[in-house]
Amino acid sequence: MTQTRNLIDENGKRTDGRTIDELREVKITVGTVKNADGSAFIEFGKNKILAAVYGPREVHPKHMALPDRCVLRCRYHMSPFSTDTRKNPAPSRREVEISKVMREALEPALMLEDYPRAAIDVYVEVLQSDGGSRCAGITAASVALADAGINMRDLVAACAAGKVDEKIVLDINDTEDKEGGADMPIAYLPRLDQVTLLQLDGRLSPEQFNECIDKAIAGCKMVYEVQKQALMHKYFGNETEMKEEAQ
Amino acid sequence: MHDVKRRYVIPGDKIVEGNFRPLMNVIKAGNSIIATRIGIAETGRDGVKVIPLSGVYIPRVNDLVIGKVVDHSSLSWEVDINSCFSAHLPAQDVFGRDFSPARDDMGRHFAIGDMITARIMAFDRTRDPMLTVQDRDLGKIPRGEALKISATRVPRLIGKRGSMIQMIEQATQTRVLIGQNGVVVVTGRTPEGIKLAVRAIRMVEEEAHTANLTQRIKVLLGIPDTPPQQQEAPRDAVSGASKPEESTIDEVEEELEVEEEK
Repeated sequence: MTQTRNLIDENGKRTDGRTIDELREVKITVGTVKNADGSAFIEFGKNKILAAVYGPREVHPKHMALPDRCVLRCRYHMSPFSTDTRKNPAPSRREVEISKVMREALEPALMLEDYPRAAIDVYVEVLQSDGGSRCAGITAASVALADAGINMRDLVAACAAGKVDEKIVLDINDTEDKEGGADMPIAYLPRLDQVTLLQLDGRLSPEQFNECIDKAIAGCKMVYEVQKQALMHKYFGNETEMKEEAQ
Repeated sequence: MHDVKRRYVIPGDKIVEGNFRPLMNVIKAGNSIIATRIGIAETGRDGVKVIPLSGVYIPRVNDLVIGKVVDHSSLSWEVDINSCFSAHLPAQDVFGRDFSPARDDMGRHFAIGDMITARIMAFDRTRDPMLTVQDRDLGKIPRGEALKISATRVPRLIGKRGSMIQMIEQATQTRVLIGQNGVVVVTGRTPEGIKLAVRAIRMVEEEAHTANLTQRIKVLLGIPDTPPQQQEAPRDAVSGASKPEESTIDEVEEELEVEEEK
């Protein structure tokens, strides 16, 4: 947690040239994996992440099935080539944890009770990582779930905020995550105004904590707009309003 | 259906506010109706529903489906109906009440790998779907080219009063059986006709929600632009016996509505 250099320069610009309230560029493409029931590819700054959803489908092994609702299974995985030095493809402690929090972040948005005795599998594959990949992964997974036609109460948008040079900034990148003061990823249901994931790595005062939450939620709302547009674009092209057809 | 309001929605979108009845793929949250699927929201006099544009097949009672026999026990066949639930066809349904596993040979009727058309007799949250073949035109499909499309595209493939599928059948000289689960079986005299029909069906699947689809299908099938014999022949006269799969889009929608009311 010791800072070695200034991460915000005298003009208020961060290491990648953003202001403290600026999100990295977010781009989502829906339906990139042909064999999946739903899929999405997200570019969140330098993060490149593929999310694929299969299901609802039969549960194997059968004893895992729940009689009253669907089982949601998530796998977050980083490709060996996604980091600077090769990453061992075996699931690490970190990946197991992220898979779990990702499942818990997505579950409240899904209407799992609509598909009893079935399973939904979500695979999130990080092809290139740059800090904040769990948020980008949740964002992509939620779009992929909507693409798969699974009943959802709301989309899940995720974004991090954190502390860099004693300032609260939006959307922490890899350098800021490693050298900065704190990192707080948040997943958020925009319509329901509910937080489904909140993690914090670092130290914040109560005031900073509140500021951080507000900033991250504002970021989630921006991400949500991108998600909406991506889905609309896939299904309805550039039309946003439906033309009345002559019946 | 004249005062129906339509709009595009994604999960979480508010469709309307006020005292409307939630019908299909919507939830009521407070005073507003929220979409839970990507699709086209319809606000009508009877309520609000979303016609989904994606998703796997979830069985409903009375659906006509095409399935593949994958296994059998001594009392029933297991049928893959392109869903997350595998269906069962009880042997008693085929052999009658006095079926005896010791006496009757189940292989006489359906072998593993056979395609069958069947109706979903029973299905609920607690049990896997149960099929029946005791109806006109149900049972084994002797030949044909099977393909799977998304179940959400089935109404579009059938078209208004069967117009789309009729057009494809006439132009390619084929017969097309459509199961509500998205399995389609094409039979025809010539391989070329079957190939063309399959291409047309694939095109309907991929471009189901786009405008002017009928026009593009006509171009693919090589049908001249002028519509000379519209609404001329009723469905049954075109290709012999009526097939129960060819419920019209209106019927499909009605069924959906009935389902919701339960």
